[in-house]
Amino acid sequence: MKRTTRTGVLALSTAAALLLTSCGFSDNGGGSADASGGTTTLNMLVPTYSDGTKGLWEGVIADFEAEHENIDVNLEVQSWENIEGVLKTKLQGGQAPDIYNGGAFAEFAAEGLLAPASDIASQETIDDFQTTFADAEKFEGTQFGLPLIASARALFYNKALMEEAGVDAVPTTWEELHDASKLISEKTKADGYGMPLGSEEAQGESLIWFAGNGGSFGDSQKISVNTPQNLEAAEFMKKMVDDGVTQNDPGATQRTPMLNTFVQGKLGFAYALPQTIGQIEDENPKLDYGVAAVPTKSGEPATLGVADRLMSFRNDGSKSAAVKEFMDYFFSADVYTDWVSTEGFLPTTKSGSEKMAGDETLTPFLDMLPNAVFYPTTNPAWNATDGAFKSLMGELGTGKSAQEVLESIQAKADAAS
Amino acid sequence: MSSVLPATNRARRTRRRGTDSQTFLSSLPWIGPALLLILAIVVFPAGYMIYNSTRKISSVGTDLESAGLENFVTIFQDPVLPRVLLNTVLWVVSVVVITVLLSLVLAQFLNKPFPGRTIVRMAVIVPWAASVVMTTTVFYYGLDPNYGIFNHFFVQLGLMDEGYGWTKNAVPAIAVSVVVAIFVSIPFTTYTLLAGLQAIPQETLEAARVDGAGRWKTYLLVIIPQLRSALAVSMLINIINVFNNLPILKVMTGSIPGNSADTLMTYIFKVLQFDRRLDLSSALSVVNFAIVLVIVAIYVKTVKPMQEI
Amino acid sequence: MTFLVTEDRAAKKTVIGRMVVGFAVVIIFLIPYGMMLIGSLKTQSEILAIPPKYLPQDGAQFSNYITMWDTPETPVPYNLISTIVIAVFATLLVLLVATPAAYYTARFKFPGKMVFMFLVIVTQMLQPAVLTAGLFKQMLAWNLNDTWLAMILINAAFNLAFAVWIMHSFFAGVPRSIDEAAQIDGAGKLRVLFTINLPLVWPGIVTAVIFTFVSCWNEFAASLVILSTAENQPLSVALTKFVGQYSTAWQYVFGVSIVAIVPVIVLFALIEKRLIGGLAAGAVK
Repeated sequence: MKRTTRTGVLALSTAAALLLTSCGFSDNGGGSADASGGTTTLNMLVPTYSDGTKGLWEGVIADFEAEHENIDVNLEVQSWENIEGVLKTKLQGGQAPDIYNGGAFAEFAAEGLLAPASDIASQETIDDFQTTFADAEKFEGTQFGLPLIASARALFYNKALMEEAGVDAVPTTWEELHDASKLISEKTKADGYGMPLGSEEAQGESLIWFAGNGGSFGDSQKISVNTPQNLEAAEFMKKMVDDGVTQNDPGATQRTPMLNTFVQGKLGFAYALPQTIGQIEDENPKLDYGVAAVPTKSGEPATLGVADRLMSFRNDGSKSAAVKEFMDYFFSADVYTDWVSTEGFLPTTKSGSEKMAGDETLTPFLDMLPNAVFYPTTNPAWNATDGAFKSLMGELGTGKSAQEVLESIQAKADAAS
Repeated sequence: MSSVLPATNRARRTRRRGTDSQTFLSSLPWIGPALLLILAIVVFPAGYMIYNSTRKISSVGTDLESAGLENFVTIFQDPVLPRVLLNTVLWVVSVVVITVLLSLVLAQFLNKPFPGRTIVRMAVIVPWAASVVMTTTVFYYGLDPNYGIFNHFFVQLGLMDEGYGWTKNAVPAIAVSVVVAIFVSIPFTTYTLLAGLQAIPQETLEAARVDGAGRWKTYLLVIIPQLRSALAVSMLINIINVFNNLPILKVMTGSIPGNSADTLMTYIFKVLQFDRRLDLSSALSVVNFAIVLVIVAIYVKTVKPMQEI
Repeated sequence: MTFLVTEDRAAKKTVIGRMVVGFAVVIIFLIPYGMMLIGSLKTQSEILAIPPKYLPQDGAQFSNYITMWDTPETPVPYNLISTIVIAVFATLLVLLVATPAAYYTARFKFPGKMVFMFLVIVTQMLQPAVLTAGLFKQMLAWNLNDTWLAMILINAAFNLAFAVWIMHSFFAGVPRSIDEAAQIDGAGKLRVLFTINLPLVWPGIVTAVIFTFVSCWNEFAASLVILSTAENQPLSVALTKFVGQYSTAWQYVFGVSIVAIVPVIVLFALIEKRLIGGLAAGAVK
């Protein structure tokens, strides 16, 4: 009996060893060299925008591969939380993805890791990008990224709560927003304004407010967080917190649960995105709400614009031609518009904008784009600044002064430049 | 191996003592596979971590140049380090001590016969079977001030007026994390102790009873010494695991700004994730490792978990 | 003492008392998982409703347990298979390697024993989480990236320590006289280990197996970087795919988590029977 067990284990482990060395499902080992027969394998690393992201890309890739038999695309999808860690490990291991969808590109460009746009897309494709977006992809005069999506924040307001609290007009200035939020906080059971300064959205919420006072995070040359305009905006944010017109614990509030309170009708005002409209339709279609321009100090329109991009790590340069095929295919008007509109973003190409011009839900956001302030993604220190906002900006809600907080963020940014 | 020379000396000395002594070579077939697995898998990554801690590495991960000990100087001058270390000590001590005490009680209880004992034992194992991340996430979800079921329950009981942000402020968030850490550590600790209890020969207990020893006396003087080995090992593993635990604190205290709620592990994570400093986080990891090493060395020296009976 | 008197009523009272305490223990340990189970039967909007409802309002959504196997985010059936393969083989490897080492170190003195035991415990201190960069490089060099084998080796190596230490402490608890008697009978070391010692240290082996299996089952940090193909990833990594930029599919997160717990409980239930059997056998001898 004992012996059979032992030989059994032995046989099992031998079989296992044989099985496992060739193991795993599909794919011949992620980053290994190109298969024979002239086929080029492109490794593609993308984040999850929505539950449909993986399926959307798989659809694009299947159609692309059907047209290009000599190119295989290996898709790897990661959550936003994990993707940068995964990318960094790959970079260190010399396994940079051939196609990468990310938020920042300048630090990669600064180290010469990226292929210039002209290597990975035809002139026709490059010319089709709207100029403002294309300019935001340039590092020291060369375009690297191909703008994938654009988005803008707008003010979402709960009509029922406003009525209950006796607020007549949708706020257009900070003071109006403050007073309206105060009324809602006091007269209803809901909170007035949702301020998500947790690590998920601190950088976005901050820039919306800074932009409302003519401020920004700086440009490609210098990160400037600690400026008089930004300070004034941060002080007003702190006033919102101190006067109790926001939800509890704004310093540790993440965007997703905060927006959920809005969707559920327990919040008067919040800055949200085009996707929030779909979310409301799914989860609480009865919500009586509206979308308006972001209130600013003076009432002049301004908001935060966000753009993500596709980029290509150069590696040994042998795959550029295949990457170019893929990009030209993907950015063709039909394929691209389908992708962007399914994900609920705003298009970055001229042809895409024409095709999507009739989309009503996107209109308020499209209208805001011309006045949008973007993150300084062309500055190599932006990533570290972003991190500093995520980990420090919330301290505005836990007792530190606006001055102290901005100084500490500026210090981290300076250390990285 | 460098230890061969002194080792042969020791071997000669010990061989005289008893028939159990063996040479290093004759031990190889037995410990060799374990040794090989460790050397093959662990040595390179550990060495790479130490190497990275002495380099200057760009935010995208490019190795730029040697930094000597500069990274260590930077982290020791970091003003948040004292607070982080204090948090770490409080975290490890509170979790391990409470876990072991509760587990001793629970193991004793589960060793007694009663109908349905198997079901209780199964229930106790569930937090162990579930991944720590998932257990923590459920607690986090339940403690959300708006849609959290725990908060809702407390409000309905009349304990609170409205949901409280347990995970939004440093002190309650750490307290809740300690509770969760104890919750997920108890199953393993209890089972180790339970296995230890079951290994105590029935005759020993009989003998104590015949001698007329009371329950407490039997427990302290007969059972605990027999549990020594299981207790020592489970505590050792707990110290290491709690010290190195990231998921619980990352989920529970992750949204709190600043470093007031950070332990060494979460701080390492933040340096890597937000500051994008692989070099500094490697240096911190080395420090972290050194601290655990010292604690464990002291523990092994004083408690002697390997001492044979 | 009273329990020598064995009065019937007192004994009954004790048993009922134990059952009550036992019931309380069950409740405490199952509450979070009960929440998980109920959450997995709710719709997405019910999970995020404010104020929350304890139970699903539109009837239990058992369909979640069907749809979750075919989600757009991740191929759950493959993820389950990967998890099983990695955890099972890593655990077997650990047992195969740790048992002789634990037995030998508990029974015999040899030069370098302390060094060996310390080296083993050092691996327990190094979590894969802080070593991912090096592990990735190493597996790349061995051409094992994105394979199960890589994760089996990594899991086995990092869980060896506990198995060796716990089994060591149990082997040490077995009276040496038993071994010596067998050796006088002419049994070799291997036979002494298999026929005499193993049955006596069943509880220790079971603890080691569960600990190793569970920790391999839930390993996340190394799998995240080493396994890049969605089909090869274990459930721990797959779960993160349900977390989108704007919303999380909580019903699937909870449902997949429940599915991930069940096999471990089943394993334990199987082992628990053997555990009791082994103990009984030990007691008879």
